[in-house]
Amino acid sequence: MVSGALLFQSLILGILLGGLYALLAAGLTLYFGIMRVVMLAHSAFIILSAYLAWRFATLTGLDPLLSLVVTVPLFFLIGFAIQRWLLSRLRPATMTMMSVLLTIAIALIIEGLLGMAFTGTQRRINLPYGSSSVNLFGAAIPVVQIVSFALAALSLAALYLLLKKTRFGRALRATIQHKEAAQLVGIDTAKVSGYGFGLGLATAAVGGAALSLQATIYPSLHWHWIGPLMAIIVVGGLGSIPGAALAALLLGIMRVMLEIPMGPTWAQTIFYLALFLTLMVRPQGFFGGRLAQRF
Amino acid sequence: MPSASSPVTLAPTTRSPAAGGGSPSRLRPVVTIAVVIAVLAFWPSIAPNPYMLSAGVVVLNYAVFATAWNIMGGFTGYISLGHAAFFGLGAYGTALLVIHTEIPPFLALALAAVATAVIAIPVGFAALRVRGASFVIVTIALVLVLQLVFQSARSVTGGSNGLVVPRPFPDLLRPEHHRLFFFLFLGLLALVLLAWLVIDYSRFGAGLKAVREDEDKAESLGVPTGRLKLVAFILSAFFVAVAGGMYGLWFGDLDPIFQFDVVLGSNIVLMALLGGVRYLFGPLVGAIVVGVALEYFVLNYGETQFHLVATGLLLAVVVLFLPDGVLTGVHQLLQRFRPQATSIRELSAEDLRAQQDERATADATTGADPATGKEGS
Repeated sequence: MVSGALLFQSLILGILLGGLYALLAAGLTLYFGIMRVVMLAHSAFIILSAYLAWRFATLTGLDPLLSLVVTVPLFFLIGFAIQRWLLSRLRPATMTMMSVLLTIAIALIIEGLLGMAFTGTQRRINLPYGSSSVNLFGAAIPVVQIVSFALAALSLAALYLLLKKTRFGRALRATIQHKEAAQLVGIDTAKVSGYGFGLGLATAAVGGAALSLQATIYPSLHWHWIGPLMAIIVVGGLGSIPGAALAALLLGIMRVMLEIPMGPTWAQTIFYLALFLTLMVRPQGFFGGRLAQRF
Repeated sequence: MPSASSPVTLAPTTRSPAAGGGSPSRLRPVVTIAVVIAVLAFWPSIAPNPYMLSAGVVVLNYAVFATAWNIMGGFTGYISLGHAAFFGLGAYGTALLVIHTEIPPFLALALAAVATAVIAIPVGFAALRVRGASFVIVTIALVLVLQLVFQSARSVTGGSNGLVVPRPFPDLLRPEHHRLFFFLFLGLLALVLLAWLVIDYSRFGAGLKAVREDEDKAESLGVPTGRLKLVAFILSAFFVAVAGGMYGLWFGDLDPIFQFDVVLGSNIVLMALLGGVRYLFGPLVGAIVVGVALEYFVLNYGETQFHLVATGLLLAVVVLFLPDGVLTGVHQLLQRFRPQATSIRELSAEDLRAQQDERATADATTGADPATGKEGS
């Protein structure tokens, strides 16, 4: 029989993992809200950011999280550029399908370049606090997981405040809700959409750095991330950030809890199971608004 | 009474968009298929070495895969990145049946393909309940989950150690084996091309194209879009599974990493898109171009990841600048050297007048209501 302490530990680890998923899925669902785009390159950018953090840490010997000073603005600009100069060139009628192909092309290019630059060898950052853990009511929680959760929670809170409290956030939400109406009240939707994409990709930069603390990275790792992330945004309802965050937390917990009886590989299938069930039972997702009904 | 039959023969001519109409133009694509297949059949006799022959088999395999994908992707405009899942299921299904039962290999192949089509039913149902984005997500998720399952179920599939498939013709030498499978794949290609053609001319195909052009309008006109999409998805999955099974029997070694690979799926989409999804031979042209390029990269750059960058760049260029494929460009180029079309209508004014005259005489002789005759034009 599984002991209570182990269950409690899994619960905590699940919440920590779910927090990271929440941040990453928030970016993915943001793109979808803005342009009806399934951004398959999102997880490739996560891995890219993780590689940059690893390279930064091995070159300078500083904490990998400091690489965020460079990667966050850089990824913001890349996101802006992708939206303005690549995605907006596609025909509106076939936007959803063609954007999938365009972003998978970007993902392949990133994976290929990473493979050429750093080979397929598995990489891991050696941190002074890498193997230490905190004892919490008998549960051993690795410090790196707490750091990455804190980072994710902080970024998610910042994203929330940005969207809810600032003028730009209102403009972005208006663009997501109804583009034409937003234009009518004087919002430059093209520019706002570009910034929104930059914001989404900035979450990938943060997520990648957080991931680099706790995971072994290799170029094709992004395929293991894109599946769960897409499942999360469908379960949460496409385009809904709170929905994505809730679904991420829930599925993250389930994933870690199921690892005890099933092992890590089978536990991973919970995401896909949830995806198929959601589409069978409630195709618009569990927290999706009107937007998700049509996709 | 010959005059009474003329409105009946008139109906198909007005409906057929092809200039000239009638049976000769319907037969023309079938003849073209025969010619293309005959030309391709020369490859084994001119291939300089067994490697080139096996590369030919690989390219043909891509061609079958891409053409089968096009039954869903081309007609409905729903881009599936997950057809690699059906390819892998066909391959593994065939392999497992051959290994564990006494069933002859090609019967096993047929059974595996049917089983895959059955699996495609619930998948298609889930994927097609909502539009676009969810469809893509489900298709990718299917590949990823099957890769996980087939890697984990080591005892059945051999996991990442691979699964060795017994050869269907153990007596043949390797070059002979390649040659035989080249012709088998060629036959399969002809079959899939023919299936695409039949759908293209059928009412079913017209419904699928209506979904592609405007799903809302199609639905409001009473086209059962959901059912049509599902049938197209299952048909497409079936043919892809046949290709997968054939590949398994030919190649003889399966690994979940290579069978259930999203990159394989995106390569297939690239092929179909590069050639042109609206053309019968679009995916074949794309498969030859991309397939040859992929073989070249593997040969010259080996294990480096350069082929990923190259495929990614090519895919991006096609999506951004050539979304209708090269055949559309060729078609437009040819059109320039032809006599200028006088009207944007598919029927010229003379044709129309001739039809109206014919109808008027027919109406006059049969005494039919002219109002009903108007609908056709």
